[in-house]
Amino acid sequence: MVVKVNNLVKRYGDLLALDHLNLEVRSGEIFGLLGPNGSGKTTAINCILSLLKYDKGDISVFGKPMTPDAYDIKKDIGVVMQEVAVFNELTVYENIDYFCGLYVSDKAKRRALVDEAIDFVGLNDFRKFRPKKLSGGLLRRLNIACGIAHKPKLIILDEPTVAVDPQSRNKILEGIVDLNKLGATVIYTSHYMEEVEQICSRIMIIDKGKVIASGTKDELKSMITLGEKITLDVFNINEAQIEGLRQLRNITSVEYSGGILEIRSLKGKNNLERVLEYVKSEGISFGKIYSEMPTLNDVFLEITGKELRD
Amino acid sequence: MFRHIFIYRLKVLMKNKSMLFWTLIFPIALATFFKLSLGGLVEQGTFRAINVVVVEQVRQDGFMDIMESLSTGDEPLFNMTVLDMDAAEARLEDEEVAAIITVNETIGMTVNQSGFGQSIVKSFLDQYNNTADAVSTILAINPSAHESIANDLRSRVTYTMEEPITDSKMDITLNYFYALIAMASLYGGFFGVEEVNNIQANLSVHAARVNVAPVHKLKAFLYSTSASFLIQYSEMLVFLAYLRYILNVDFGDRFGLILVTTFVGSLVGLSLGAFVSALLKSNEDVKTGILIGMTMTGAFLAGMMFGDMKYIVQTKFPIVAILNPVNLLSDAYYSLYFYDDYVRYSQNIVILLIFSFVFCAATYMIIRRRKYASL
Repeated sequence: MVVKVNNLVKRYGDLLALDHLNLEVRSGEIFGLLGPNGSGKTTAINCILSLLKYDKGDISVFGKPMTPDAYDIKKDIGVVMQEVAVFNELTVYENIDYFCGLYVSDKAKRRALVDEAIDFVGLNDFRKFRPKKLSGGLLRRLNIACGIAHKPKLIILDEPTVAVDPQSRNKILEGIVDLNKLGATVIYTSHYMEEVEQICSRIMIIDKGKVIASGTKDELKSMITLGEKITLDVFNINEAQIEGLRQLRNITSVEYSGGILEIRSLKGKNNLERVLEYVKSEGISFGKIYSEMPTLNDVFLEITGKELRD
Repeated sequence: MFRHIFIYRLKVLMKNKSMLFWTLIFPIALATFFKLSLGGLVEQGTFRAINVVVVEQVRQDGFMDIMESLSTGDEPLFNMTVLDMDAAEARLEDEEVAAIITVNETIGMTVNQSGFGQSIVKSFLDQYNNTADAVSTILAINPSAHESIANDLRSRVTYTMEEPITDSKMDITLNYFYALIAMASLYGGFFGVEEVNNIQANLSVHAARVNVAPVHKLKAFLYSTSASFLIQYSEMLVFLAYLRYILNVDFGDRFGLILVTTFVGSLVGLSLGAFVSALLKSNEDVKTGILIGMTMTGAFLAGMMFGDMKYIVQTKFPIVAILNPVNLLSDAYYSLYFYDDYVRYSQNIVILLIFSFVFCAATYMIIRRRKYASL
């Protein structure tokens, strides 16, 4: 086990930020910590890194208790904070070299590592640029390079794609997968379910400091009753027809608003087929029709009763 | 690790234009402004012969000889003109002269305002008239005493002895510059603020990054602060050189001790900034604002804006003078320049070192914690 968190409790005054949180990160996985803003993701990470005091619980990393002066553990951890932490007075190369130098003292080795990190995040053309001259996306990439240049065994990325353009976001996500393929264990926190779904092998969803579900994305989706979400562009439909749809087998809800008909069904076969047959038989004219499998947002919605981005 | 952190910290700080402005360019600009505006004050401090008009209504050769001798030489007391009463009054009216001295049976004076020059003239005339009266009275009683009186007047004994405390020339503008140097030294606190911000994970994200690295936090702080100190001290030396060689501000001839004083000043500034930064959990701008406020208040009380303030504080509120590092530092420079002994200088330096120790110890107590309640 790379990281093991046992019964972690953290309070900020009266606010319970982490409520008996248990967490295990296995070697070689990309572990996603998913939750809305303020759910306790960053607090959990800061506790794991021994930056924050906590009220109760145990944290071990690489099988050893994590403490502020556990330097033998820290040397194998790379952290990419949510906020960009670079020096505006230093160039891209110097920034990476500075932070890498806190882990690696051998100059020649460090030079090779910094070159590799620059190459990895695609900042070769910007080596001598100061951070202020970089776009938001490039800045995020620099932030990542500063955190991973020393080739850590465990990489913790706390919302690294906030305020990043889609192109840079894809580049960052691909990079994380590549780092994992190279052998690093990754903890990735985000409130973007698509990202977590895309790259994480195991996911933990937390809300108000509590674990509400964890497992692979398929395991998480199998925890809920929602099987399928069918959406139709409908030009005209009356209340009786909507009620008729509701009576179909497996259908759990039907909502019509602004020309969009949204039908949710339980797991089961031929749900779409039955809906289409009904629509045709009633002579309801429709435009586009599409069916979606449940997302992590649906998982969150069903368990907590609110949207992930609320 | 020391070399790595030290070199990069130097690079960061030397490229921080805002910091360089406040800690070097601003004091230089202020010193230049001081030099331009304090030029007149130097003139004020120099004694000039007092313009007087003598109206000789009755011939008194003895008095006129004395006036003549006091109006000549390298440092004359009077600049005397002999005129008739109408012309003399016109001169007085136009404020071209401080007083009209009327030579009659007795010697009188006419002024139309009071002032430094008028007081000197009055004092001189009082002394002359008293002596003349005494001589007349003695001669009336004992006419044969003429010769012994003349001898006594030639060999007047003074019962006080002048003991110079310094060989240095009195210069009332120096304290303004010394207070300015002290202010610039305490501006080194900006470096202290930044250093603490960069090591306290609850104050900056840079610090959080250092705190998760396998580096001893206090060692990293010490390495980084060494770079700040080097820059602050170097800037102060540049500032001193500018004052000495461009603005011709006199520091006396104890150059080694000037460097020591500047070293101590930089230490106090840096440690004060670190202490303020460690104590307050507000953003850097607020801390810098508080530091500027403290420094400027200290500079004001040390006489940087109003020269007499230093004297007022020292006499009315001596404890404030002792607790004000700007005052102690400016006074240390002044003591080095003005006094031949080291008593006052040593007192100032010892108190400053105690301050610095207290600031460092308090900062250590605050930043030594390795985990935070919140970030």
